[in-house]
Amino acid sequence: MDRQPPTALLSPQEWEQLLDDFASSSNPSRRDRWLHLPLLDLAVSSLLRRDLPSHLKPLLLSLVDDHLPPPLPSSLPALLASLLSFPPDHPLRDHLLVTVVSAFASALAAPISRDHEAPHLAALVDALLAAANRPNHAPDRAARALACDALRALDAALPGLLAEALGHLYALAAAERSPAAQSYLLLLASAARHAVRLGRLASGASILAVAGPPTPFAVPAHLLSPLAAPGASVAPPSEVNVRDTRKVLALLMDRPQVLTPAAAMEMMAILAEVASAVLQWAPAIAAHIKVQFGGMVHSSSPMLLHSLLTLFVQFPDAFGAEDERTMAHRLALAAREVHRPLAVRLLALHWLLGSGKFRNLVPGLARWFYPAVFDPLALKAKKLDCLAYVAAGVDGEKVAAADRASDQATRLLDDGLVCVSAFRWLPAWSTETGVAFRALHSVLVGAAPHSTDGTSCSGARELLNSTIFHHLQAILVDMASEHQGLVPVIADFTNRLLACNSHRWAGERLLRTLDECLLPRLEPGYQLASYYPIFEKIAQNETVPQHHLIELLTKQMVSLTKKHGPDTELKSWSQGSKVVGICRVMLKHHHSSHIFLPLSHLLVLTIESFPDLEVRDHARICLRMLSCVPGKKLRHIMGVGEQPSGVTPSHPGSLYDIPSPRAAQDLKSMPDLASYIHLERVVPLIVKQSWALTLPNFSVQSRPSGSILSIQDVSSAPSEQENPTGPTIERIGYRQETLRVMDSKVTITFSSSAHFGKIPSCHIPFILGEPPGSGMDIVPIDNQNREESSYCASVTIELEPQEPSPGLIDVSVEANTENCQVLSGSLKPITVGIEDMFLKASVPPDTPREGVAMYYQDLFHALWEACDSSTNTGRETFPLSGGKGSAVIDGTRSVKLLEVTPKVLIGAVERYLASFVVSVSGGSLVTILRGNGVIKNVMWEENVPDASVGADALVPYSPDNNLQLHLIDDEDIGVGAERYGHESKREMGTMRVMIFLPPRYHLLFLLEVGRASTLVRIRTDHWPCLAYVDEYLEALIS
Amino acid sequence: MSGGGCSIRAIWILTPNDTVAFSRRFAVVEKRWRAAWEAEEGDGEGDRRGTGAAPLLFPADHEVAAAFAERRRREGTARGSGIRTNVSSVGLDSWVDDPITRHIISLRLDKEEGDGFMLWPVVLQKRGGYYVLVLPLVDPQPFRAYENLLKRSDCGSSAKENGNLSSILFNLPCITGAFMVAHVVGDIITGDIAEPEVIISSGPSVGGLLDSLTGSIGISARAKPIASPVAAPTASLSSPVGAAQSDSLKGGVRPFDKDLLRNFIIGAMPFGTAQDLNYANVTSIRTTGFSGDPLPTDQKQPAWKPYLYKGRQRIIFTSLETINAALYDRDDVPDFLSVSGQVTCRAELEGLPDVSLPLTGLKTAHVEVSSFHHCVQASEPTANKQTLVFQPPLGNFVLMHYQAPCNIAPPVKGFYQLSMVSENEGAFLFKLTLMEGYKSPFIMDFCMITMPFPRRRVASYDGNPSIGTVSMTEHSIEWRIVSSGRGLSGRSIEATFPGTVKFLPRTVQRINSSFRSVSSTGYTEDSDSEQDNAKNGASLDDYIMEKINKDLQAVDLEEPLSWQAYNYAKVSFKITGGTLSGLTIDPKSVNVYPSVKAPAEYSMQASSGDYILWNTLGKCPTAALPREL
Repeated sequence: MDRQPPTALLSPQEWEQLLDDFASSSNPSRRDRWLHLPLLDLAVSSLLRRDLPSHLKPLLLSLVDDHLPPPLPSSLPALLASLLSFPPDHPLRDHLLVTVVSAFASALAAPISRDHEAPHLAALVDALLAAANRPNHAPDRAARALACDALRALDAALPGLLAEALGHLYALAAAERSPAAQSYLLLLASAARHAVRLGRLASGASILAVAGPPTPFAVPAHLLSPLAAPGASVAPPSEVNVRDTRKVLALLMDRPQVLTPAAAMEMMAILAEVASAVLQWAPAIAAHIKVQFGGMVHSSSPMLLHSLLTLFVQFPDAFGAEDERTMAHRLALAAREVHRPLAVRLLALHWLLGSGKFRNLVPGLARWFYPAVFDPLALKAKKLDCLAYVAAGVDGEKVAAADRASDQATRLLDDGLVCVSAFRWLPAWSTETGVAFRALHSVLVGAAPHSTDGTSCSGARELLNSTIFHHLQAILVDMASEHQGLVPVIADFTNRLLACNSHRWAGERLLRTLDECLLPRLEPGYQLASYYPIFEKIAQNETVPQHHLIELLTKQMVSLTKKHGPDTELKSWSQGSKVVGICRVMLKHHHSSHIFLPLSHLLVLTIESFPDLEVRDHARICLRMLSCVPGKKLRHIMGVGEQPSGVTPSHPGSLYDIPSPRAAQDLKSMPDLASYIHLERVVPLIVKQSWALTLPNFSVQSRPSGSILSIQDVSSAPSEQENPTGPTIERIGYRQETLRVMDSKVTITFSSSAHFGKIPSCHIPFILGEPPGSGMDIVPIDNQNREESSYCASVTIELEPQEPSPGLIDVSVEANTENCQVLSGSLKPITVGIEDMFLKASVPPDTPREGVAMYYQDLFHALWEACDSSTNTGRETFPLSGGKGSAVIDGTRSVKLLEVTPKVLIGAVERYLASFVVSVSGGSLVTILRGNGVIKNVMWEENVPDASVGADALVPYSPDNNLQLHLIDDEDIGVGAERYGHESKREMGTMRVMIFLPPRYHLLFLLEVGRASTLVRIRTDHWPCLAYVDEYLEALIS
Repeated sequence: MSGGGCSIRAIWILTPNDTVAFSRRFAVVEKRWRAAWEAEEGDGEGDRRGTGAAPLLFPADHEVAAAFAERRRREGTARGSGIRTNVSSVGLDSWVDDPITRHIISLRLDKEEGDGFMLWPVVLQKRGGYYVLVLPLVDPQPFRAYENLLKRSDCGSSAKENGNLSSILFNLPCITGAFMVAHVVGDIITGDIAEPEVIISSGPSVGGLLDSLTGSIGISARAKPIASPVAAPTASLSSPVGAAQSDSLKGGVRPFDKDLLRNFIIGAMPFGTAQDLNYANVTSIRTTGFSGDPLPTDQKQPAWKPYLYKGRQRIIFTSLETINAALYDRDDVPDFLSVSGQVTCRAELEGLPDVSLPLTGLKTAHVEVSSFHHCVQASEPTANKQTLVFQPPLGNFVLMHYQAPCNIAPPVKGFYQLSMVSENEGAFLFKLTLMEGYKSPFIMDFCMITMPFPRRRVASYDGNPSIGTVSMTEHSIEWRIVSSGRGLSGRSIEATFPGTVKFLPRTVQRINSSFRSVSSTGYTEDSDSEQDNAKNGASLDDYIMEKINKDLQAVDLEEPLSWQAYNYAKVSFKITGGTLSGLTIDPKSVNVYPSVKAPAEYSMQASSGDYILWNTLGKCPTAALPREL
């Protein structure tokens, strides 16, 4: 706790301490301990103390002025008393006067208390008027001037205080010849202004009339009454007051040259107000103003220039077009005057642009806005604003010589940019760069300004087609291709436009231009990394097609892979990560159908060959998201909704009358296309939940051990509802709000990351000509009445699997909507199961019909043997027919125990696998199956075959185990034999099933059907399918 | 209601350490500010809460200091970036995207309780390490208009839109006034208060107002040094060499005389409304007062001439010209030469006479623009002539300013070539001609060439000039061709200087991030995009420059260009005996009315400003010359 200072007079040391505490800006609390003292009184009463050092005394007054709160009216009498008793020749008297008058002016407000405040105010004014009322007294002219200034301050704080003394003030001002005349004139002007504001001009009594001598002064009634609301009277001025006002104005304007620039500024502001009040009745005043002040156009004082400008605006009739041209010319030149402070040069240009009157003259002054090499950059920037303004205007003019105008505009822009041209090779953060890009922006918003409501802008279409915009884009493209360092700046520039509701279109057009013109110029390599900021913007934007970019990035990945070496590990990682990062951005912002194919190629390529593990992993995640998650959900997952509101998609329709071919329907109004159109399988998959194994560059030959690179969940569950009617696989239905499709067809395209080959797109015909509300409307239906959906079409998808594996097929739809927009979107993907890969083996054409069953059986046995991995490392070579080489079979074996009753098993086999059965053996089994009549044209063997077939067995496959097969030692075989031997005792027979897996693999089942369970022995020449098969068999019997 | 004039609410002077060195508050103006806001509140617009009430508070000094520090933090520098960058955000001055926002700033005051409020327009000047802040009184409407600009969410306004910054500034003369206040306050704290120089050809140079004054009222003036010669041989005011480019200069400010400033303010603007910003006049009146000498009987004595002269009468004119030149010695880039000149005057005339001065040769000199002291009434210029009539103030004053091309051959021409032979060694060659075509009485007082290397440390140089002497500093090599006292007159000389310069190896200095201007933020050089320039077929020079420029800092908007990105030589010289523009005054044609016998004297002097020889072999900044549309 600080020591409390005494309340008596403060010692010099205490004052020093106090002043120091008050001056401290670092610790403002230090002053608190002084605040309980009557500091105002103490300070004023200490001024005449002899024991205080003289340097301290002005500081006491400054303390009052600058640090103490405004005094209360109650402290005014004491202040007044100190002032009146203060020695007139004391060096601090002026300062004290200023302090006391300031205190009065800030403490008092109308209405003034007639008893407590008015007498003191009157006494103060009395003293001041008395001081002022000694015109032309030479030695005290400074004191008289100060008295005038003090009166003016009081008059400003208490408007109209001196209105009734106007006549005296006029006489004083007219008489004074000393340099103090300025203060008298200003006082007269100020008092006259308040007389005008109070509405005194309407009165029949002259404003200059006086009742008696200036002193003693009486506070005017309107300041004492709470009711008198000062306000300008609407009544016209009386004749006498028009005359007297002119008289006052004539005195004020007599010789403005005698005023200092600062005083002239004040005077001109007041003059303008007073003159305006009577201008209607005395129009000659305007001409007088022009004569007296027009010469200031050549002044080097910015205050005078600016004041003159305001006169131009307030007295438009006084100054003609020629004067305006001269003034505009002066302002343009003032910006070129190197002796002026920079801020003033900038202001001069602002003044030119700040008023319609002069702005219209700017184009004619273009040559004066060319920046000079040594102009400060701030001035260059502002001059470029002016040039941009001219350029935008020139280009916008619909003149006959349109080409010439456009040339001029582009030339202006080019010429202007030269002064900061070095920015091209300076670092991106250089100020030159900032100025140059600001100029480009200035051209753009100059040509297409924001509208007042901030939603759209005028001139958009004109600008898009304008030469200047094309030129600007060309500049940016060239700049980007030649100066990689500027790419982030260009990206920021684009972003600035994209984030603006009014100029989003310009940003999008710019991105498209960069996509079309810049990307083809770029070569893959490490330098390409400089362009990633632009790529990212392109990837983010829905309106820009992505194929150029994906193509380039694919090349880049190839290039990075090729260049990879021991020294470039970090670079490969960094650059590869960035490419995958851009892919992610693309995923987030685009319908997967648009980018699916090329992007999945890029990602697969990365997964297969990119040298960096982490990059490969990232690519894998991206690929998985791309292939497995429906587009909308994907974007949701990736948080597209978190974008700031500034970048919400615009409504292109509001900008263009013609639809943009690429403009997708707004996602907000069409939230989920998949809920309008959906595909469902005619035959549902047996396996409800599945997963897919993705192998890079799968080759059994080259990777016999087959390391697993990725296992993905195929999470899209097929429809719950079974609807096996109809011969085709898919059906289409619609639901939710009306979606009107005007085209005769809807095009559905398919794509997949799985190796299903190229899937042809198909067209769904719609019925035309029906009135709205029937077939044309695609009406929403919910799940319950999906059966009643108004329209269904069949779609057949043909796959050319390069590898038999499950997978997802992404589906996207394009259609024309009623308003001619192209509607596009993605639907729920189609799940393809392993069972969709099951085909019957083809039969040689020369085989007789009755020999088919035998052929299948022989083939089964041959393949069974060939796929026996225990013999000669599981490889056998078969010559192909026609002698064109041979096929190598690399076999794998597995077993699966199905713990179901024969009835269930037989039912499942008959339903799903009937066409693949090659032979049935075992009496009871043959009897049952023959009786059912589902399985036909197979080999029937009544005798139970040797139970030892396949008993040399295998490690049962389980999803928990690694798929790697390992050698089996004797002990394992023993355990297996004992277990399965026990089962076989109760067996009913065996079935052999042979399935062809496109493109060239086989899947063989030997089902040993028992009373309580069935052992399935599996052999295949495509081991990866074992995992799916296991799941399939599980599903088969569940 | 502000009333259209210029009233000041407050002045603060802050140190670089964010403390308040000086503050002045004008209670009278503050009251008008409150009244204007209360009147507007009374208009019944209820939705103005939040912005409406808060600005009525007045901040304490420490709050202003804190707000200023906070602004520096947000804007990157104390003056802000002035243009919108990728780090600008809504509410910052740089969001408005105009360079003037470096000079007219907003301060955001955060009160502990309740809403913060904003001070605007705060006119900012940086002088002598201090920040001078002047807050003029404006009406609530323009205040709100600016607030709207700060809040606009779009990409930046154009001059065609309503409520743009230009139209706000157009309607606020008080801002212009505040600039002039800040300017003179800056002059006082830096001690830059000398009157403009006039030179007489014979005898000692003449002083300023006080000398005239003391002569007339018979008191001894303080010993006042005569204004220093216009161009000191070392470097001119605008010297790019080692120019401080950062706001972050800490400490090192010279204390200033607060009493002097306080005294000036009481005289110049006792109640916040400026009425005379002439330092010499205001302080003379405050310190000297007036004697009982009689006033003129027939006319008003101008406010800017508080004293009348008494003594021997004469009138002196001096033409002072500064030439800026960018010399390229290239076929594709024209040289740029521009002369800015002023005529200063000192009229030691009794009474209040009118002086008329005809200017001739305006057209021949291609005088592009001229502006005059406010005492001057200029006739409309005719083809080649313009007559100035003026009642001269006491002391030295600038009668007129003008801009003109250099209408005579450049005083120093030739070329400078510097080629880097390795990363730390360069070979250079100067071949110059001095004063070609200049006849007597032109005299070149001195001439010096400086080769600045602000980002390299000079280890040594080798080579001998054909004339003159050479010296080196840590960051430059200086070649004195003509030394003071051995002026070059009546002949031209050729000077060559072939040589080599060796630098100390560059130490990679990572520049403190706060040192870089704000615009650098966000554009960190990506190491991935580094390319092997040597393989690009670029020359070694380009390669070295590019390498060096990687850590080039952004210059302030007050600089014309990134000086450090270039190699150049700067020429300094002073020439007396003539003007480069060719615009001269005939002292015989000067008329004084009422007629007195007062000799008119006239002298001329020209000196170099930014007189640059760009390295012919390197990159150079340039600007397009205007063409007719």
